Amino acid sequence: MATTTTAPSTDAPGSSSGGVPAAGPKGSSLPTARYTLAQMRRSAGRLTAAGIAILIGTAFVAVTLLAGNVITRATYDTIAARYADADVLVTTSGTDWRQDVEAIRGTDGVAAADAVRSAYLNLGDGSVFAYAEGIARPQDSRLMALDLTAGKWPSERGEIAVPDGLAERLHVGIGDETQVYRWVTTDPETGDGEEVTEDVRVVGITQDPYNAYASSGGAVVATPADIDEWADDPVPGGTFEIAALLEPSALSGGEPTPAVRDALDAAVVSGGKHSVKTVDEHAQQVSAERTGGEDLVFLVFVLTFAAVALLVAGLVIANTFQVLVAQRTRTLALLRCVGAGRGQLYRSVLLEAAVLGVLASLGGVLLGVLLAQTALFVAPRFDLGVPLPAAVSITPQVVLIPLAVGTVVTVVAALAPARNATRVAPLAALRPAETLSVRRGAGRVRAVLSALATIGGFALVGLGVYFGTTGEVQLGLAATVLGGAVSLVGVIVGTVFWLPKVAAFLGALVSRTGPASRLAAANTLRNPRRTSATATALLIGVTLIMTMTTGAAAARETADDTLDETFPVDIMVMPGAGEVPPSAAGTVDGVDGVTDVAEVYAADAELPGGEYLYLQGADLEDLRATVHDEHALDNLAPGTILLTQDDMENLGVAAGDTLEVTGTGSAVPLTVAETSNMGLSDVVTLTDLRKVDPEATFAAVWAALDPAADPATLLADVQDAMSDQGVFVTGPAAQRAQFEQVINVMLGIVVGLLAVAVVIAVIGVANTLSLSVIERRRESATLRAIGLSKSQLRGMLAVEGMLIAGVGAVLGIALGLLYGWTGALTALSVMGDVTLAVPWLDLGVVLVVAVVAGLIASVAPARSALQASPVEALAAE
Amino acid sequence: MDTTVYVPVDGTRAVRARDLTKTYGSGEAVVHALAGVDVDFAAGEFTAIMGPSGSGKSTLMHLLAGLDTATSGQAFVGTTDVTGLNDGALTKLRRDRVGFVFQQFNLLPMFTAEQNITLPVELAGGTVDRQWFGTLVETLGLTERLTHRPAEMSGGQQQRVAIARALIAQPDVVFADEPTGNLDSRSGAEVLSFLRRSVRELGRTIIMVTHDPAAAAYADRVVLLADGRIAGDITDPTPESALAGLDALRTLEPDVSTGTTPAVPGAGA
Ligand SMILES: Nc1ncnc2c1ncn2[C@@H]1O[C@H](COP(=O)(O)OP(=O)(O)OP(=O)(O)O)[C@@H](O)[C@H]1O
Ligand SMILES: [Mg+2]
Repeated sequence: MATTTTAPSTDAPGSSSGGVPAAGPKGSSLPTARYTLAQMRRSAGRLTAAGIAILIGTAFVAVTLLAGNVITRATYDTIAARYADADVLVTTSGTDWRQDVEAIRGTDGVAAADAVRSAYLNLGDGSVFAYAEGIARPQDSRLMALDLTAGKWPSERGEIAVPDGLAERLHVGIGDETQVYRWVTTDPETGDGEEVTEDVRVVGITQDPYNAYASSGGAVVATPADIDEWADDPVPGGTFEIAALLEPSALSGGEPTPAVRDALDAAVVSGGKHSVKTVDEHAQQVSAERTGGEDLVFLVFVLTFAAVALLVAGLVIANTFQVLVAQRTRTLALLRCVGAGRGQLYRSVLLEAAVLGVLASLGGVLLGVLLAQTALFVAPRFDLGVPLPAAVSITPQVVLIPLAVGTVVTVVAALAPARNATRVAPLAALRPAETLSVRRGAGRVRAVLSALATIGGFALVGLGVYFGTTGEVQLGLAATVLGGAVSLVGVIVGTVFWLPKVAAFLGALVSRTGPASRLAAANTLRNPRRTSATATALLIGVTLIMTMTTGAAAARETADDTLDETFPVDIMVMPGAGEVPPSAAGTVDGVDGVTDVAEVYAADAELPGGEYLYLQGADLEDLRATVHDEHALDNLAPGTILLTQDDMENLGVAAGDTLEVTGTGSAVPLTVAETSNMGLSDVVTLTDLRKVDPEATFAAVWAALDPAADPATLLADVQDAMSDQGVFVTGPAAQRAQFEQVINVMLGIVVGLLAVAVVIAVIGVANTLSLSVIERRRESATLRAIGLSKSQLRGMLAVEGMLIAGVGAVLGIALGLLYGWTGALTALSVMGDVTLAVPWLDLGVVLVVAVVAGLIASVAPARSALQASPVEALAAE
Repeated sequence: MDTTVYVPVDGTRAVRARDLTKTYGSGEAVVHALAGVDVDFAAGEFTAIMGPSGSGKSTLMHLLAGLDTATSGQAFVGTTDVTGLNDGALTKLRRDRVGFVFQQFNLLPMFTAEQNITLPVELAGGTVDRQWFGTLVETLGLTERLTHRPAEMSGGQQQRVAIARALIAQPDVVFADEPTGNLDSRSGAEVLSFLRRSVRELGRTIIMVTHDPAAAAYADRVVLLADGRIAGDITDPTPESALAGLDALRTLEPDVSTGTTPAVPGAGA
């Protein structure tokens, strides 16, 4: 190369410390690059797993960005749909909108134009009603977003075309009459007005292929004259839109020419502000106003998980390079011996990382695009109700952001290993390979930082819990989340100090099971740094997943308790639009799966202090059979009234006091008895209720369900049985099912997003194992030569994999429980007593998945370990 | 499978090779590492294999021990034909009947000397014969070193641990490939006399590859190898007779059947 004659110049720090006349940085970068690429080619296999980790992380980012684009596109399309094929929108103040429409229709280059007006209508025939948006039939059919599927477009006043769904709901077809109800304001001052009814005839049935009017429940088409009458005049100070279709001559490249824009702008008659926009520009503006940054929230939410995945990928990368540098110690020392400068070695490692980062990120973008496109391809098979674009739109951001992020993460992760590479002494080349090691132990700074972050973080979490339990939920959550994040960082930074000890403990347990396990345990401990880095990557994902599941479990339990205290029975049939008929008890009892029913009567009563009570009473035996809360009824007996602690305080009485309750007759003395269940407060026996009010009315049916049956299904059955009675059927089952569903969906999404980080971490386990296998080739061959069987070798690596994964999982689970509980205490204390549960099932699943993943991670490394023939491995220097 | 306890009987053949061949590559690049070797090694004897570099010494040893597969021919340990064994049977053979000592020691760095020595027995799932262990440790002078890890021991000490590891399962035969190659002459002499004591006092059978005529002189017999064939046999060798035997190999060259030229003998030349 021509640059070999470059004069010596100021060099990177340390590059001249090799004691060899170092070439200048320009002269030295080329040999370094050539050496780096040669080294990479040699280590291609060792870099693959690290590359895959980054690839998955960047694919995650790319898919998120693409999904964001798809959402934006879908939003634009929905907004733009109602303008059909219109090219431009002229927005005016609307003061003289009729003249504006005429002027625009008369402008050169305009093929057709219409005002975008709608009227809000109530359609129906007295028994069924439906709200709909009324729009005018446009001048040109290309400005109509709806398709006509039957009949004709309205051409005379009083004719309408209705969407198929609406026609069904109103039970009308072509030729049928129905009515339009609308509110006509007679006095704008007071807002007084009257309802006007007009007869209309259905002449056409429409379809809305682009969901243009989905948000308003469908659009009814009428003649412009009718819409003029039905629609309100533009409000002063508002805006008014006119959609225009342009002649081909007025368009260049699909966009209106500047000349036609100017002409349209000049044509506007109304005073005040006006503008000319393309439909796309308009959609962009509206969606920005409408969502108010909601897209951004979605992006930030999902990208947080992408960041976690990339952090884990970064750990895998850092670990890989740390191991590579350790394995190349001899080569690096030799290079130093023959005159390579520290700077050259440093740059060489970083260059290697950069090349890996770029290649892997490109792969990630490609994978992301493929995944997103596949999703769009299959999406139409599920009716999502949203029009989705057919192809992903690959904007520069979609490619550049993941590429930059992936490369930066890779290079940053390689900084510490690169620094280690510069620390290799030339002398190391002369020492036997076994005794070589790159910097053992960890710095004191690291220990102090980790301890500070951990302790400080947990203190903040404690403060958050305190705030949460004292009602300051917002403040508490902020403190808990921040403290949780800080302490997790502290824990992660500090794993190198304590994680090996946990591994040693688990290893000691495992080593009892046989020589292969003993070898595995010893192997896991021989390089504590590597083991902790690998396990930490898994720990992060497991911790977050466990936090979520623990929090969800606490939310579930707490909600269950709250629901149980509100609903004393499984199902309650209560007055809705109509009263509960006395026959209801029999009807409910007849439903399969209902085991017992209680007929509940009610009466109003008055206390001496003037307070009113709504007394409920039922047969004591029936109550015992239906109320599921075991001890809530314990104190109910003839002559007593159940009250909760709260109600007693409100009435200023205590358990054992006598209340004089007056109904229709004379006062009845009732002894106050305590119940824990809010739904049972003010409950008396039926006999006592009759004493208070002999005419007490039939009010409700309470029912108990077969515990083996699905409460949600039974609730639906009871609702069906009572459907035409106008009553309200409810129960904790319905609430619980609803709540459960919300929690499960949220948990599913979050765990799904976190799973990416776990997958990357498992790849990291496989990576560490295969790097170790390469490093221990000679050792494995020796073991084989002295009697280690193939399956023992496989078993040894399997135990190593499971041990590393198990350590990460066990610690992650412990941390996750802690964070989940503190989080639940902070967030849920306002709902009542928080029940802290250990989600054993989830815990077991996480542990099993992690350990099995560790096992699977050992398969490929074991295969490569067995492939090498003992003779070759023994010969290898 | 032959599981009889070893009984040193003079003249019993511990290891035999019959028309053993091994070729690497094919066509133009074919290398006959072993070209039909017939050789017997007596039980209770210390045999040295010598020959120029590339003559096939290591290959012969690997085939005899079942570490590598032969192209043709047979190799017997006792009455077992190792060329016909599958991996499981070979693993069992290595556990019970064959021991190895390598030039690089190849101890496991994370285990102590004692753990390294007992590893083969543990891998086989057996219990360590403490009396035999004591005898070995004492004979090899390792009593003080049992709790040390390889990194804390000298090369000679590491090699003695390796020898103890090779002998712990009381194998029928121990193969040693240049066991003194990485040692200075004093540690080398120490290791060699331990190997000889293992044969003389503990009744073991040892086959050792070496370049060094002085090392070969510790053996009861020297088998000379050149170009993948047996080229001589010296009983009760002295450094001088071993050297003379090696020198004589040079006059045999060049061999017509292979393209390889015997290299200059290594140490001692
Ligand atoms: N894996 C292999 N592929 C090709 N040729 C091989 C292979 N292993 C050994 N050889 C060739 O087989 C021949 C014998 O090799 P071997 O290692 O047995 O020699 P050696 O006598 O042990 O030599 P040294 O004294 O140098 O250790 C040599 O020519 C060598 O080049
Ligand atoms: Mg050799």
